[in-house]
Amino acid sequence: MAQYRTQARIIADVLSTARDMNTEGSGVRITTLLRRGNMSYSRMSKLLTELVGSGLLLELNQEKISRYMISERGLQFLAAYQQFEDFAQSFGLRL
Amino acid sequence: MAGGVDVSLIADVLQFIGVFVSFSIAYVAFRGLRQTRSPAMLRLATAFLFLGVGFMVQAVLGLEGVLSVLPALTTTVIAGLVVASALMETAGYFFLAFSHALDVMFSKRLQVAFLLFPVFTLSAAQTTDALSILSFYFILYGVVETFTAYARTRKPDTLLIALGLALLGSGTFVAWLSLMYPVVYVLSLVQIIIKEVGLMILFIPVLSYALGGAKANGPI
Repeated sequence: MAQYRTQARIIADVLSTARDMNTEGSGVRITTLLRRGNMSYSRMSKLLTELVGSGLLLELNQEKISRYMISERGLQFLAAYQQFEDFAQSFGLRL
Repeated sequence: MAGGVDVSLIADVLQFIGVFVSFSIAYVAFRGLRQTRSPAMLRLATAFLFLGVGFMVQAVLGLEGVLSVLPALTTTVIAGLVVASALMETAGYFFLAFSHALDVMFSKRLQVAFLLFPVFTLSAAQTTDALSILSFYFILYGVVETFTAYARTRKPDTLLIALGLALLGSGTFVAWLSLMYPVVYVLSLVQIIIKEVGLMILFIPVLSYALGGAKANGPI
């Protein structure tokens, strides 16, 4: 059954992808984020702009291609998100 | 009656444990809200804030009845505060049930949720009785949903929360009985003890979150 995703869940999914798929240390491309994030290009672009603006993601421009890497603040957000997701799950809720 | 006064005093002092636990859970939920901006955290924080305020008003009113520490309050004001505290408690349980209802709605099981929602409240004659019954059905709904969540996740914390909520629900039921039989003093104490044990069980999994853990640098 399809599950409704809150904005916080979507942000956590994008940040997790940026962290887990960054195997070479050069960031991940928007196509990877789109594939794993299951959302439209325009929505993902807008979200990435917000995440870069809030310091959760770093934007790296290499050979005219934008790549995204999770920042220290993004890692802290993910840790806090995981903690509060556990807290919400304890009450039988989802973040 | 000396025994009655003692029981009331113990019950009122125990209410403050409920105040502490409720505000602690509300604090953790507010921290979660600030860092994740999740509506679930907002509803949880609101629920326990209302419960905490409700318990606090009940405790202060109870102590006032025994110790007379506040300036003289008219009967109308006291009656109003009693109804207000019952309303706060009911609102708290409503937000707990409401959180689960929204979760269920997102899972497209809304029809089942409404079947479980309280529908028997029209039989209550007095406001406090009605609120007490409403509280009981709200908490019952929360217990069912939390046990369902435990069956899905098998998390020990979820089981503890479900047990805590079940005891809170039992306490609310005994509270309703104590309204029906006000001369049985022990019912008042029993309902408080059951509720406080429930709240303390609720507090066990919350304790680790209350004491700290991961922190982001401000809201997202």
